[in-house]
Amino acid sequence: MKSRTRLITGAVATAMVGALALTACSGGGGGGEDDGGDKTITFMFRGGTDEKAAYQAAIDRYTEDTGVKVNMIVTDADQYATKLQAAVAGNNVPDVFYIEQASLQSYVASGVLMDITDQVAESGLDLDNIWEYGVDSYRFNGTVQGTPDGALYGLPKDVGPFSFGYNKTMLEDAGIELPDKDTPLTWEEFVDICKKLTTDTDGDGAVDQWGTGLNVQWNLQSMVWSNGGDWTNEDHTQVTVDTPEFAEALQKFADLTNIDKVTPSASDAATLDTYQRWMAGEIGFFPVGPWDVSVYNDLDFDYDLIPWPTVGDAGSATWIGSLGIGVSATTEHPQDAVNLVTYLSGDPEAQQTLVDANIQIPNLIDVAQDWAAEEGAEPANRQEFLDIVQDYGRAMPAAFTYGAEWYDELWTNIQPVLDGKQTAADYLAETQPKMQTLLDESISNAEQAGGGA
Amino acid sequence: MTRSQAAAATVDPPPADAGPQPERAPDRDRRARNRLHRVEHRWALLFIAPPVIGFLLFTLYPIGFAVYTSLTSWNGLGPMRFVGLDNYVALVQDEYFRKSLWNTFFYMIGIPIGLVLSLLLAIALNRRIPGRTAFRTIYYVPVISSLAAIAIVWQFAYNGDFGLINQVLGWFGINGPDWLQNTATVKPAIILMAIWKGLGYSMLLYLAAIQSVPASLYEAASLDGANAYQKFRSITLPMVRPVTFFLVVTNIIAGAQIFTEINIMTPTGGPEFSSASVVWYIVRKAFKYQQMGYATAMAIVLGILVLVITLIQFRLNRRNSFSIE
Repeated sequence: MKSRTRLITGAVATAMVGALALTACSGGGGGGEDDGGDKTITFMFRGGTDEKAAYQAAIDRYTEDTGVKVNMIVTDADQYATKLQAAVAGNNVPDVFYIEQASLQSYVASGVLMDITDQVAESGLDLDNIWEYGVDSYRFNGTVQGTPDGALYGLPKDVGPFSFGYNKTMLEDAGIELPDKDTPLTWEEFVDICKKLTTDTDGDGAVDQWGTGLNVQWNLQSMVWSNGGDWTNEDHTQVTVDTPEFAEALQKFADLTNIDKVTPSASDAATLDTYQRWMAGEIGFFPVGPWDVSVYNDLDFDYDLIPWPTVGDAGSATWIGSLGIGVSATTEHPQDAVNLVTYLSGDPEAQQTLVDANIQIPNLIDVAQDWAAEEGAEPANRQEFLDIVQDYGRAMPAAFTYGAEWYDELWTNIQPVLDGKQTAADYLAETQPKMQTLLDESISNAEQAGGGA
Repeated sequence: MTRSQAAAATVDPPPADAGPQPERAPDRDRRARNRLHRVEHRWALLFIAPPVIGFLLFTLYPIGFAVYTSLTSWNGLGPMRFVGLDNYVALVQDEYFRKSLWNTFFYMIGIPIGLVLSLLLAIALNRRIPGRTAFRTIYYVPVISSLAAIAIVWQFAYNGDFGLINQVLGWFGINGPDWLQNTATVKPAIILMAIWKGLGYSMLLYLAAIQSVPASLYEAASLDGANAYQKFRSITLPMVRPVTFFLVVTNIIAGAQIFTEINIMTPTGGPEFSSASVVWYIVRKAFKYQQMGYATAMAIVLGILVLVITLIQFRLNRRNSFSIE
């Protein structure tokens, strides 16, 4: 009898421990708790080791200055969206988090993001000294995103002007006149130089140096825009990829491989190969983003930035990426959360920490101008990055639409065009209706989400 | 006793002279027993509560929630809007869903290949060959390695220009394709990797099964003059059948959920959607395009398909099962 009692007591104890464990799990959320004035806010972002270290340094100083502790949650780039959405679904939204341009509208419509217009105005942050493109990317007036009249739902973490570069050492060795840093090459000039660079340098019968090696998903924009084409009409309601300008640009992209033969492998759609080859000094022209600079500066050759070559007469064009930092609508510490956002986006010292890590260009215009004028900077023509942000860069086609599914559809079946098995015009005529259907769906989803919120 | 006899015995009603029936017990006795039962009942309830609550909370509720979600238009963040069977109707017309379903089942070609290889391997490593422990360990290493890490390594191996595989092919003058960027080679490439990854696990189970076959069976067969192949056909193969059945069922269920390899090796679903699996498509719809309702509808269709296939397998296995008299 005695042993049985003990057994039962044990069982009850076990059950209670189990129950406690369960409640402990479900109570683990919430974020910042006020114990003895020690405030903690959570900041969720994504990035590699370099970025994590740079942000750690910037945030340590924030904690020193304000006494507010920051609990950082870092994920890999591909896991970020999933984890953030899971956090939202679990009612455990981080106080401050990264937000993509293309997701902003659904997060606003669903009441996840806080309107921080007033707090930012009160904070004394000089928005005029931050890139207009970056700030406007996170403005949304309920129907249109990216215009100056919307409420502010975040501040730019950075702007990412996608520039073009060339291997200076290679061109000099080949005795080719270096391209001008202000006048873009015409497409004919560009292909011509590429042909000269594409050779067999060690005489073993196999080509081991190429003019360029581009990736359709990231480089086609520049070609289409410089030819006067675009993905959609002005208000993002009509897909316009079935135009002659668009088709010509895509065809020229495919021809680089199939006709001009100035790129490495025929069936290569991923950048992996050409990225490695560029870094090995086997490729003449290659795109350069600010996030590449820390890696490219360590390469064995000199490189510099130039404007993108133009396919038509619409001028050099490229895109600017951006990632924003937003505040949860349910945060318990709205003021501290907004302070952290303005600090990361606009504090000169914080910016300096991030810029010194070579992971981005400065957000503040005056800091950026000093940065570009720096003597002996690498790459020498840093100014090109700023020109893109200020003058000729554009948002990605899907940056300000509700979701990017319509846009991704273009890439899904594009391989036969790149392999030269289908003409660009045929493919685009075939794909436009599919993209249009998806864009129509996204517009109606946006309306429903807006109405339901 | 055969199975049917055993079954019959349990179904038989108790003999008529099995003593007093509970219904006829005196009232007082019954009350006492009931009280005792009640106490025991209470304890029993307490003991079974954790798993039952766990089941309700972590299995039944999510399933119910998923079924409801699949009937709504929901971006995973805001309010849900009931749309009835709209998602399922759209699913039937979705070319990419059909394609990803086809790809997923195509990947399962690797299952029988993997089973045959691992059985042969198990037989080989069951013999007294030098260094067999080392071999067993080597074949098991992929199983305990992280799938993501393995996928990245294989991605490099498959690289069209630099990859190990094409370099090796190059020694023989073969100009290998860009494996993961080619609609014809991407699926075989992923299958090959999946077979390699799963080999050690199946091998280990087969090894255990082979070693538990009674040696007397082989001795008897030898006396009857059976050769090695006949012994394998008539003794080894039937004796490891339960393991084969287990592996087929679990491999198909796992195969229907193939995701990590696809997502890492072909992050865009391959050229022309040629490597996208159903789960990959579900994740993309749910988290990239924020169509949680639609993605859940796909998950439910996939779940039903797996359930049906598994039931069919159990039915087939019952017909094939044997017993030792």
